[in-house]
Amino acid sequence: MTVGGTRGSPPRVLCARYLHLGLVDALRRYPELQGEAVIVGGAPELRLPVIAASRAALAAGVRPGQPLRQAQQLCPRAAFVPLDPEAVGALRVSLCGSLQTVSPAVEVGDQEALCDLSGRHAAFADELSWASATARVLHAALGVDSPAVGVAGSRFVARMAAQVSDAGRIRRVRPGEEAAFLAPLPLEVLPVRPAITARLAAFGLDCLGAVAALSPGDLQRQFGPDGLQVHRLARGQDDHGAEPVPAQQAWCERLVLDGATGDLETLLRAARRCAEALGDRLAQSGLAAGQANLVFEVEEGEAVSATARTSSPLGSGAGLWTALFGLLSELVPPAPVTGVRVGVTGLGPAGGRQSDLFRPGDAAREHVEIAAQRLRVRFGDGTVRRPALAVDPGDVPERRIAWREPAPALAR
Amino acid sequence: MTDSLSAALATLRHRFGPQALHRGDQVERSTAWPTGVPVIDTTLTPGGLPRGRVSVLAASARGPSGRLTLLQSLTALASRSCDIGYVDLHGTLDPGFLADLGADLDACLVISPGRRHWERALVMARALVVAGTPWIGIALDDDQPATRLWDHALVALTEAVGKRSTVCVIAAPAPLAAPLAYASSLTLTCAPAGWQMAHGDVAGLRVRVSIRKSRVGAMPSEASLLLRYPRPYAVAEVMGLPTVVTPRLQTGDGFLAGDGRTDSAKSAPAAVMAAVPG
Repeated sequence: MTVGGTRGSPPRVLCARYLHLGLVDALRRYPELQGEAVIVGGAPELRLPVIAASRAALAAGVRPGQPLRQAQQLCPRAAFVPLDPEAVGALRVSLCGSLQTVSPAVEVGDQEALCDLSGRHAAFADELSWASATARVLHAALGVDSPAVGVAGSRFVARMAAQVSDAGRIRRVRPGEEAAFLAPLPLEVLPVRPAITARLAAFGLDCLGAVAALSPGDLQRQFGPDGLQVHRLARGQDDHGAEPVPAQQAWCERLVLDGATGDLETLLRAARRCAEALGDRLAQSGLAAGQANLVFEVEEGEAVSATARTSSPLGSGAGLWTALFGLLSELVPPAPVTGVRVGVTGLGPAGGRQSDLFRPGDAAREHVEIAAQRLRVRFGDGTVRRPALAVDPGDVPERRIAWREPAPALAR
Repeated sequence: MTDSLSAALATLRHRFGPQALHRGDQVERSTAWPTGVPVIDTTLTPGGLPRGRVSVLAASARGPSGRLTLLQSLTALASRSCDIGYVDLHGTLDPGFLADLGADLDACLVISPGRRHWERALVMARALVVAGTPWIGIALDDDQPATRLWDHALVALTEAVGKRSTVCVIAAPAPLAAPLAYASSLTLTCAPAGWQMAHGDVAGLRVRVSIRKSRVGAMPSEASLLLRYPRPYAVAEVMGLPTVVTPRLQTGDGFLAGDGRTDSAKSAPAAVMAAVPG
């Protein structure tokens, strides 16, 4: 999904460029490396590329993508730090959450973030103050140098604006000025195949302005559909905005019991009621949850909780109850329970599919999968499985079959 | 309609089920699942295996009978047209063999409750039937637990199968347990009739199948099936062998042949003249 512009207002996109999140994480882990030459990617003995490099390392000639051994030769004093993908992922999620407080649509990458600034924001008087607030949020979330920010009418122009902007500065390209802003930029900035830029250069074209001056028909004759795309990009007329990540949502249902009790049957009924209420809400909204958690609030003590991560999204009360049912054996309340809370997180669109009307049982596949999960919870893993042909069985005949757990049915 | 005719019709309906008789002007809705194997769909069970009923493939005697191979062949056939569940108490299911039989493995759900867990197997099968699985096969193992441990689960399964119009096929060891014999609407007895040899090698198993009980309108009959094993150059399949079928009337516990002799008096191999090709 691409977001950019509401009805009646032109699309505006903010692009912020910052240090690579791998480098940010490394500097958080090793604060003593602030200001030093740091190269993220691993030990120099490994045949791996450089993922990110600090300002000092960049000044020494290190570039992302270079072999680590070459980077060591260029900058022998640099500290080599391995990339921690999990920490980077967590940082990205945290950054996304922060930006979603100021922008309705946010796309976060390892080195840049795109936010939708179309329309008006009630909290900010104009676009510039909105962009400044976004930059401040980014700076606070990352805790490193202020980002370089560009604001323009499309994704490509905003990225170019951020590239030409300095750290801590905002470069705005007003509507209608896109072509003039892009005109002096070199052809290499075009996000197209290198063969196209090489051919354009062979024609004697050296900047985007020269390409924009050509007619779209000429470019189409040379490069087909890519030619039209090049023309639109060179004139700043691409209609792509931010591709937002859905906000993390969490829903919860809580049932306060009449009196504190330790009766398992009562707790079961309470948990089931919460699960069904949540299931109804999910079904009405067309959403499914990635995980569910069950909390027992106990008398004069800390609540006990357990979380279930399911292989298939939970979009109904029955599915939710199946997941919670497995948790009940794990939860032993240390004191009488006063309240039951059921929560779901990782909400996303529930997967719909076209069922095969001519295949008996196809429409009931989801129900069968839920029943199968319930049986696994009750009788143990491995009791209900689906056979599948192994992709690479090798020479051993016994290995040609792989067992897998039942998963939600997708379009066949 | 005379009283004697009414009584005869009532007896036939009681013995062979309500589908056994219907008026010529009454078009009956198809309630059978055609297996696609002509000898089963025509000779043994007209139209195929019944929906909403429990069918039993019973072993004729202790030891190998070919019932599991036949059940797996039927499972493979069913998986090509619908989603299926296979309850494997025996623990002998080889998904590779299913694949060689032409099964759509993506449509197969295999349940392994463990040996001797008949009650658990029937409960799990019922759960899948209630969820909407249109075809379920149950391979019971030879270690038969006490009847009182699982007969209530069988009753629940039979009820669920009837409500959901599911095709339910159970492969049962010999001797056939009384609750299974009672719950079954169609009992086919499987007896091995020898190996099918080709070029000095085992190419398949011949199974003699006879109707032991029918409440779905199938008349007592016998047929020989060849369960051809998969070979590097040929797929596995179930095919009928030419047989001479002797329709007989059922009286009491055994069959009466046309000449009045009982089954025990007339040897089964003599009643089936299998012309084995090759």
